[in-house]
Amino acid sequence: MTTRTSAPPSRSEPSGVRVIRLGAFSFRVRLRVAGLVAVAAVVVVGLMAWSLTLGNYALSLAEIHGALKGTASADARFIVVDLRLPRLLTAVAVGSMLAMSGAIFQGILRNPLVSPDIIGINAGASVGALLLIVTRQPLAYLPAAAFVGGLVAAAAIYALTWRGHISGARLILVGMGMNAMLTATTTYLLTQAEIRDASRAVLWMTGSVYGSDWGDVRLLVVSLAVLVPLGAALMWSLRVLQLGDLTAHTLGMPVERIRLFLIITGCALSGIAVSVAGPIGFVALMVPHFARMLAGPMTAGVFVLTGLLGAALVLGADMIGQHATGVSLPVGVITSALGAPYFLYLLSRTRVRL
Amino acid sequence: MVMAMNRLMAHDVTLAYGRSKAVAQNLTFQVPDGRVTSIIGPNGCGKSTLLRALARLITPVAGTVLLDGEAIHRQPTKEVAKRLGLLPQEQVAPDAIVVEDLVRRGRYPHQSFLQPLSAKDRAAVERALELAGITELRNRPVDELSGGQRQRAWIAMALAQETPILLLDEPTTYLDLAHQWEILELIRRLNREEGRTVVAVLHDVNAAAWVSDHVVAMRAGSIVAEGPPEDVLQPELLRRIFGVHCDVVESGGVNVPMCIARGRSIWRRHELMVRSLTDGSDEKGARPAEPALRAERLVAGYQNRRVVEGVSVSFPAGKVSAIVGPNASGKSTLLRALARLLPVSEGTVWLHERPIGRSGRKAFARQLGMLAQEAPVPPGMLVQDFVAMGRYPHQRWYRQWSPADERAVERALEVTGTSELRWQPVEALSGGQRQRMRLAMALAQETPVLLLDEPTTFLDMAHQIEVLELVRRLNETEGKTVIMVLHDLCQACHYADYVVAMKDGKVVAAGAPNEVVTEELVQSIFGMHCTVFPDPVTGTPLVLPYAASDTALQEVVLESH
Repeated sequence: MTTRTSAPPSRSEPSGVRVIRLGAFSFRVRLRVAGLVAVAAVVVVGLMAWSLTLGNYALSLAEIHGALKGTASADARFIVVDLRLPRLLTAVAVGSMLAMSGAIFQGILRNPLVSPDIIGINAGASVGALLLIVTRQPLAYLPAAAFVGGLVAAAAIYALTWRGHISGARLILVGMGMNAMLTATTTYLLTQAEIRDASRAVLWMTGSVYGSDWGDVRLLVVSLAVLVPLGAALMWSLRVLQLGDLTAHTLGMPVERIRLFLIITGCALSGIAVSVAGPIGFVALMVPHFARMLAGPMTAGVFVLTGLLGAALVLGADMIGQHATGVSLPVGVITSALGAPYFLYLLSRTRVRL
Repeated sequence: MVMAMNRLMAHDVTLAYGRSKAVAQNLTFQVPDGRVTSIIGPNGCGKSTLLRALARLITPVAGTVLLDGEAIHRQPTKEVAKRLGLLPQEQVAPDAIVVEDLVRRGRYPHQSFLQPLSAKDRAAVERALELAGITELRNRPVDELSGGQRQRAWIAMALAQETPILLLDEPTTYLDLAHQWEILELIRRLNREEGRTVVAVLHDVNAAAWVSDHVVAMRAGSIVAEGPPEDVLQPELLRRIFGVHCDVVESGGVNVPMCIARGRSIWRRHELMVRSLTDGSDEKGARPAEPALRAERLVAGYQNRRVVEGVSVSFPAGKVSAIVGPNASGKSTLLRALARLLPVSEGTVWLHERPIGRSGRKAFARQLGMLAQEAPVPPGMLVQDFVAMGRYPHQRWYRQWSPADERAVERALEVTGTSELRWQPVEALSGGQRQRMRLAMALAQETPVLLLDEPTTFLDMAHQIEVLELVRRLNETEGKTVIMVLHDLCQACHYADYVVAMKDGKVVAAGAPNEVVTEELVQSIFGMHCTVFPDPVTGTPLVLPYAASDTALQEVVLESH
């Protein structure tokens, strides 16, 4: 991708930035970020197409095209539309949501070590979801239960950490304590549940996109449609929040309110993702770092890039787990096994201070 | 003839961190035995690095540091620590550790695992506590001490080590006038009474001149000059070292030279003085300016602690005001309460005769900007993007870069002289450049009133002047009302039209610098002796502090009155 274009550089903007103005709307677009977003989007779409062709029942791209249009055989249509498509769309959506949620939490807490799975927000979502499963409530409420569970965990962490301000080290300790407690609660709930419920719960908790259906996809798409624009708009304020509460206040930002919005958005993103696919580790912690190493400090553009990278990671991991190994491995295992070494390699190479 | 061998010396050393460029090159330097030596120089000149090499904390890339004629890094750590004590710049103490326990840790090099605390150790600890004057604080937790007391506790730890040589890295940073002098006096006493060799890195030239027998001046990794203070305290030399014009003045009766860094504004100041002398009228006194910001019976603080206690004060519009006072006198708290950053528990604040609680957050942020003392800077961000964040109160999420934003940022960069730096990442800037960038952000906010909390901390002499000159220019060319907290009294007198002196959360005096800053005031708020005399060039008051132990000087001052 190009960071410098041949267009004549104006005095006020470097060649790597374009200003877009339309009536009351005005934005600055960094070409490098825009380029990266485009490349990441192409990679995700490419992976999706490739993923559709893979499997015991191998299909060509032309057959897939036919299946999507409804002209292919009933078998092919069933495999593409009912089996493969929901699964890969789920992987894409879940990956992007987890990654964006990680970006939000790392941003508000100004701490590169936090992610919803480390500080117990995902564990809170798990408890919420499990309570629903073992009490045999309709599974349609699963996303709501997971979201509320995550939100309650976040609120508890925040309240226990608050001492006039939020200290990063304290928050991680509180979050880890919370995580341990909630994980214990999940185990307890499992032992108390009836065997049928318990096995369903265990299947959900492994963190897998296996067996996703169109209902899941619909929920995820609706959530993304609401949460991504919201998150991207909030990035505008988050950028200022990163200069510290004091500076944000002097710039006239309602700091507590913005932070509350950000936490709700972050909890919704991770809670809903967890409710569908179970807790998939590592994505939320790692992907925001990838994005920042590639594209610089967090902005709305980098936020979208984070989502796309998360989508590519989870989708790629699911493809590897499903097809590259003899046995079908849950996606969470692959994200950790693949992503972690590459992440460590990047860390040792990069000069970006975390 | 045999050349005298000093106990500690650096021979042709080149110093670097990691594989990066050398910080100091081919330094040869002998520490005079039984003397106080100070190392001075601008930020980043390698003075602290040299001290760390002398303390065996970093190994030279080339050359050697010799302790008693032997390469220091070949000697065992404990052996070195018996002869050489170090006060690091930033200290980390475990939470809630008490003073005596901290001081006892200085005995580590003399102890072994099997023989923890001998009578000799105990005696050394007692002696160290006494020397540092903190015997009665022995059972207090270190984190509850004042800045000066804490620094003395750390020095006591180095003293308990009972080393003939003491290395101190910026022992007076973060301390107010009185505490600085407390430490300088202690250093002098350690040398005079105990005969210890002391090497101190200092950033204040006048403090260095007062405390030391030998001054080493560094610039860009090499030693520029070396000698007794009166030889080094020369205007041309100081200019070469710090890159800023300096005058060395002497007060009437007291024969102590004092170095004052100058910026361009002395000429304007000079004109003002001449005019007021010839007209017989003071420009400021003639027509009292209307207040930009006014507080009445203001009480503010943190949680259960009241810091500002019923302050009534008004700051004139279109002028530069300075708030001065010792550490913990409530200066920054007052500033924060004025900027609506702290809840006001009692009293009212008016901004242009309108109570500050009435306007919305963003509307208020378009009226009043504030530069906090320190704020995290997200790494990797470009200077222009940083400055552009000052536009936040003028923007909406969908209107992120209007032509007005562009103009304001452009202008802020231009006025602060940061246009050339705009595409640099923020971490590449020097201290002075970073401070100018932060000022540019506050400027892009386009507020008529600007509050600055200690804008010169962490900066060396040249950068301090650079920032203060800029503040003056903003006031004169942009008509900004500036209210700033400053810790240097001379600078406050020189750069402000209006001075507010605080002590214990109350305003003690307010007015024009030469009315407010007097020997009595300094004595009452800082609790220390000084002589105040007019600057021969600008006529603004200069404050020359001296130690209580300096009885000779004290007599001269008393006589001169």
